[in-house]
Amino acid sequence: MSTNSIKLLTGDVHRNLAELVSKNLGQSLCKVNINRESNREVYLNLGESVRDEDVYIICQIGSGDVNDRVFELLIMINACKTASARRITAVLPNFPYARQDRKDKSRAPITAKLMANMLQTAGCNHVITMDLHASQIQGFFDVPVDNLYAEPSVVQYLKTNVDYRNSIIVSPDAGGAKRAASLADQLDLNFALIHKERARANEVSKMVLVGDVTGKVCILVDDMADTCGTLAKAADTLLDNGADSVIAIVTHGILSGKAIETINGSRLHSVVCTNTVPIEDKMERSPKLKRLDVSNVLAEAIRRLHNGESVSYLFRHVQ
Amino acid sequence: MRDSVILGGNSHPELLQRICRDLDVQPAEIHSSLFANGETNVSIAESVREKTVYVVQSACGEVNDAFMELLIMISACKAASAKSVVAVMPLFPYSRQLNLRDVLNVSSKEASKIAQQQQPFETPLAKKPPPRLGDLAQPPITPVRTNIGMSISPVRPCFNRQLSVVAPPKEENVEPQYNPGFKCWMANPGELMARLLTTAGADRIITMDLHDPQYQGFFDIPVDNLYGRPLLEQYIATKIPDWRHAVIVSPDAGGAKRATSIADHLGMDFALIHKDGRNNATLLVGDVAGKVVILLDDLVDSGKTMTRAAKVVKDHGATMVYGICTHGVFSGDALHRLKKSINCFVTTNSVPQHENQAEFGEWIQVVDVAHVLAEAIRRIHNGESISMLFDHAVGVV
Repeated sequence: MSTNSIKLLTGDVHRNLAELVSKNLGQSLCKVNINRESNREVYLNLGESVRDEDVYIICQIGSGDVNDRVFELLIMINACKTASARRITAVLPNFPYARQDRKDKSRAPITAKLMANMLQTAGCNHVITMDLHASQIQGFFDVPVDNLYAEPSVVQYLKTNVDYRNSIIVSPDAGGAKRAASLADQLDLNFALIHKERARANEVSKMVLVGDVTGKVCILVDDMADTCGTLAKAADTLLDNGADSVIAIVTHGILSGKAIETINGSRLHSVVCTNTVPIEDKMERSPKLKRLDVSNVLAEAIRRLHNGESVSYLFRHVQ
Repeated sequence: MRDSVILGGNSHPELLQRICRDLDVQPAEIHSSLFANGETNVSIAESVREKTVYVVQSACGEVNDAFMELLIMISACKAASAKSVVAVMPLFPYSRQLNLRDVLNVSSKEASKIAQQQQPFETPLAKKPPPRLGDLAQPPITPVRTNIGMSISPVRPCFNRQLSVVAPPKEENVEPQYNPGFKCWMANPGELMARLLTTAGADRIITMDLHDPQYQGFFDIPVDNLYGRPLLEQYIATKIPDWRHAVIVSPDAGGAKRATSIADHLGMDFALIHKDGRNNATLLVGDVAGKVVILLDDLVDSGKTMTRAAKVVKDHGATMVYGICTHGVFSGDALHRLKKSINCFVTTNSVPQHENQAEFGEWIQVVDVAHVLAEAIRRIHNGESISMLFDHAVGVV
């Protein structure tokens, strides 16, 4: 009876990405019935048999209710495991708690490691993610982690939507220099760097520009934009240094707190975010926000994983 | 208590304070909050190196946030070289048993209809092979679904003196349909929660009135399941007038054992309400006419079961109805609903009750479980037996 085919699962909120992936694969999403108690306990039941199937659970985690999404995912993984799925892959394009990846002060929790352990405890056999904040998080797992890159999609986007020959790639902080340099190489562009002195988390104090941006279209590149304070200040710094205009491209547009107001009030021309994080509702509130669809990359990774083909082709190319 | 640290999350600070007061220690200073993006951020301000850490967190409020906070606290303590970490969880999360009907939030009739619609053996996108030339001449074959499942006719309840039937509402009285093939079963997350605690690094669990005693088997670490029973018994014996002639009633069959154990212990009568799933009839087994009824359950959330039970016992001539439960979650307008049919409600503070007390005053009576938890912590810390707590109430009601 069993065909060991791909089974796509997702929760009942933020279904957008999962639906795009399912369209890309030509495979419909499995039915999952979810009930939330008043205290937000999640009870679910799988509407289809997953016995001996290759299960992919797509979970889009953005800002707000992170813990609810996490437990929803864990319970879904566990449900598939107890329902005898052959392999369970968590597709977590934006890995939750990725920034709490080190013990930076005494008795600080390494929650990313806890997340990795929790996923494995629930019964996850494989993880697909995208642009991990620190690629070392892959080492937190005892199961394979495929860390995909949004870079090929970003390159394609810039080539088709931006006058990229007159552009310069800018990293808004020293930590992202490698990412920016790699993108600059791909597009054969120069790159500049902004050095910031951070006073406290989610707060930016002083910025120093390294490099020449006069008369250029600046493309700010980062893996994550949360409150967007950094991006707004970086845009100010670049325009003050003679830049023509500033575009920001980020993989994970978490956009929490007053991020939308900050973007609308900033001198940024536009902010391009991939749909690893649900941003559809936020796009209505900001005309500057643009969406870059990466569902094709995830779908192709799922297809290749299912067929046992190499995934590394996707690190450089867009399907 | 030597070499110990007690700390707690945001779920139930009052209980933490009460436990610490009983043990005459100060709770450790921790800072716990949500980041702007909804991720939990915990930092522990005191050293826990080579200490035994007791983390107090009840599964109340936003359960997922509370449980994640607990897991992060445990893992932070472990990473900060704590000797062992004990999770003190008066109410254990995800301990309910739900069936498909509850998940879909529909009647059993609709649930079976939905279950029938889910046909796993036909992939919706599977392409039909193109018709061959010969096939085109023939009329298309319509698939005939044969119902090989048993159709169960409504069973008449057997009438006798003890058994009385409340007539079910008419529209509900429909023959349930049974779906052959794929059975929609429920995922049980409770076992996962147990393993997550072990994953985070918990070395021992202290909890209270687990919904299923089998839960203890889910853990690979010691679980001390305390009972609210002695406290509730003490309440009944001291606060309910003429309690010796009252009847303990379990509002569903699942709680029969719980109710009989209190009834036996206090030498009281016992009755049981059973909801017959096949024809939606509510049966009362036992006699409550002219008596005070004490409805007993472990957890009350929506209060629907309790309210229905209260109606049944009043229809059968109960003079007064008390409601008693260990874990009063009371979501939505549960208490308003309960107040209409129950004369007095008794619960514990395993879940914060001060807001309910402020609103409902004397009608809701709260028994303090902090003494039991504190005494259990003290005994466990000193390596003493805690079985005394199973039978004897600690503290004054």
